[in-house]
Amino acid sequence: MFKLPKPLLAMALLAAFTAEVAYAENYQIGTPATAVQIAGWDIDIRPDGKGLPAGSGNAINGEEGYEIFCASCHGVFGEGEGRWPVLAGGEGTLEDDRPVKTVGSYWPYASTLFDYIRRAMPFNAPLSLNDQQVYDITAYVLYLNDLIEEDFELSQDNLAHVKMPNEDGFFEDNRPDVSNPRCMTDCADPSRLMMQTSLAGVTPIGHFVEGADAPAASHSDQHDLEASKEAERKAAITGEEMATSVNQDITLMSTQALAGEATYKTACGSCHGSGLAGAPKLGDAEAWSKRLEKGNDLLIIHALEGYAGSEGYMPAKGGRTDLTDEAVINAVLFIVESQQ
Amino acid sequence: MNVPSTHQLLQTLQSASEHLSTNDRRDFLRRGMSYAAGAAAVGVSTMASTAALNSNLPPNEPQWGRQLGTGVVENPYGHPSPHESQVVRRTVPWLTAESVSSISMSPIQDLKGIITPNGLVFERYHSGVPNINPDEHRLMIHGLVDNPLIFTMEDLMRFPSVSEIRFIECPANGGMEWRGPQMEALQFTHGMLSCCEWTGVPLKVLLDAVGIQTKGKWVLAEGADGAHMSRSIPIEKVLDDTLVVYAQNGEMLRPEQGYPLRLINPGWEGNTSIKWLRRIEVGDQPWHHREETSKYTDLMADGRARRFTFAQECNSVITTPCPENPIVRKGFLEVEGLAWTGRGKIKGVDISFNGGVSWRPAQLKGLVLDKALTRFSFSTQWQGEAWLIQSRAYDDSGYVQPTLAQLREQRGVNSIYHKNSIHTWQVGPAGEVKNVQIT
Repeated sequence: MFKLPKPLLAMALLAAFTAEVAYAENYQIGTPATAVQIAGWDIDIRPDGKGLPAGSGNAINGEEGYEIFCASCHGVFGEGEGRWPVLAGGEGTLEDDRPVKTVGSYWPYASTLFDYIRRAMPFNAPLSLNDQQVYDITAYVLYLNDLIEEDFELSQDNLAHVKMPNEDGFFEDNRPDVSNPRCMTDCADPSRLMMQTSLAGVTPIGHFVEGADAPAASHSDQHDLEASKEAERKAAITGEEMATSVNQDITLMSTQALAGEATYKTACGSCHGSGLAGAPKLGDAEAWSKRLEKGNDLLIIHALEGYAGSEGYMPAKGGRTDLTDEAVINAVLFIVESQQ
Repeated sequence: MNVPSTHQLLQTLQSASEHLSTNDRRDFLRRGMSYAAGAAAVGVSTMASTAALNSNLPPNEPQWGRQLGTGVVENPYGHPSPHESQVVRRTVPWLTAESVSSISMSPIQDLKGIITPNGLVFERYHSGVPNINPDEHRLMIHGLVDNPLIFTMEDLMRFPSVSEIRFIECPANGGMEWRGPQMEALQFTHGMLSCCEWTGVPLKVLLDAVGIQTKGKWVLAEGADGAHMSRSIPIEKVLDDTLVVYAQNGEMLRPEQGYPLRLINPGWEGNTSIKWLRRIEVGDQPWHHREETSKYTDLMADGRARRFTFAQECNSVITTPCPENPIVRKGFLEVEGLAWTGRGKIKGVDISFNGGVSWRPAQLKGLVLDKALTRFSFSTQWQGEAWLIQSRAYDDSGYVQPTLAQLREQRGVNSIYHKNSIHTWQVGPAGEVKNVQIT
């Protein structure tokens, strides 16, 4: 071990004993953010159009992108699929018992649409669209709400001027809006009090999902429940006997497929369990049969490199680029063998 | 023969009922709970007279006293006792379409004191939990500032730190019950609520470092998650008490809570406390983004909507008894609960046993902190009476927690958020507790 000679050690200690420490608040911490760094992250748009990138787009060009990236959740006409948000319609319903809050009926500014599509959509691959696609799809959603014409060229210069019907429907927080006196005795007439016990079938709205059924123990159980109801519905229509089980006996699976189950659960299940973004659901024999006909190689290529088509959208590796190719391939085999 | 404790029975019932539908489960639990209550009563008398039934009870030496236990670092990061496995976050799957854009509730019916353990803090994600390497995480502050800066985690942790105990609550807490009671447990009526000691740097200190310009009136806070969750926050709040935190309850943030960095806007709706915080922009007006227009605005009966409803107003709920904690024994009972307000400190809580006809003051106990959960208590006797039990908190701003009728009269039933009305539990003759509303 390195040792200081004794005289030097004494000098070092002397220095420590005589140190004067000043109180200081001049931190000088942090590194200057360069213009290039800021430009990369500064994605926000304001109602006055500040932040909009150069460019323009229209609904005619937006239709294809909307159908690939959006329609599987939001519906071909913005009517919403399953329990995903409705984008269009609902005009004049805000005072109704069950208001329908959409871009057209509720949102105060068109800028919010551009901002949100760019920062968070498509749901499974945020920030993957280029500015041209965002302009086109924004125009298409505004068109679905009858707010612009199909050929209207929505641009950096005019987006802020698209007047939204409900712009004036908002007011600033004015709470407290109620005042309850701190009464201690005879605060109510017991004979006039009504007690309401649990209401069956009162479903939450708006922030939550309307028309939802009884709760299941987990989202995965919920999806299973919905899948079995859908199978029942289809069977009732076709008169066919229902498939008895969607769960393959795992003892018959290959080693690779078994290894892929964990990846499926953590990475693939959020879309292939629910049908998000048009993903064929695990166990949906009809949806998988035509894909399986084309062979495992094509499925694996789509899983690794991504797929965009009329039936849905999947980013490369489902957006989980941290996964190895092997893990993705095993997960594909798990899905394939689950169908057999 | 072992006589199971009520607690163990409830735990067994809980797990045995998990596959059942709501109605079946409700019946199952109700039957199970009365069985548990009966068994506990039998258990007490049996144990008193014939202790030989349980070899772990006096006068016998319990089994764990006659052997060695496990050693150090058996669990390098410890877990709760396996006997507490029912104390977990739970969700209501039909609320949302997918688990990655969803919410879970804290088991506030089982928690003690005012601090929520890190693994039980309620979750709310808009695009799931990102897996962030702290070495690659940056906080950028720019906009109407003199010197835009980028901070590493190491930079942020060099600033003098502050630690504050503050609650965080989703404004949708209780929002499923505007039209009527429909949740069958406290965890689901009030569990979008947690309280932690947060450690970090006041945002004001960071804004001083970049030099905020006089035109700067609002800031935009943005997350690094897939949703790039964003909210506009007025500068007055930011300069008052907003924190940029990296730790909770003594350890670094949990991924679910924004690891490695999040904002805390004390007393304000939880979604403004942006998780996985990566960017703050100073501007001269709000941005009106999706989570402050389409969502988190409060629709009134006349079709107009309140926006930027930041404060979580004064609220309270009784946690003992509650549907998950029925009264199992006659005699002494400490009625206990939680109160909180986003506008300051809880000043007091009153309790009614008759649906709000008359009220008695409860005691506040333990720490009474600004914008933190506060415990209240009322010691009494229960002899099988039917109760309609309520709590009504008031804060140091003079605001008294309102009735549901008052809120409905002002707002209608479609505002979803900010339902902070007085809550009622119905206690039945067997000590069972149901969620009801009094109007």
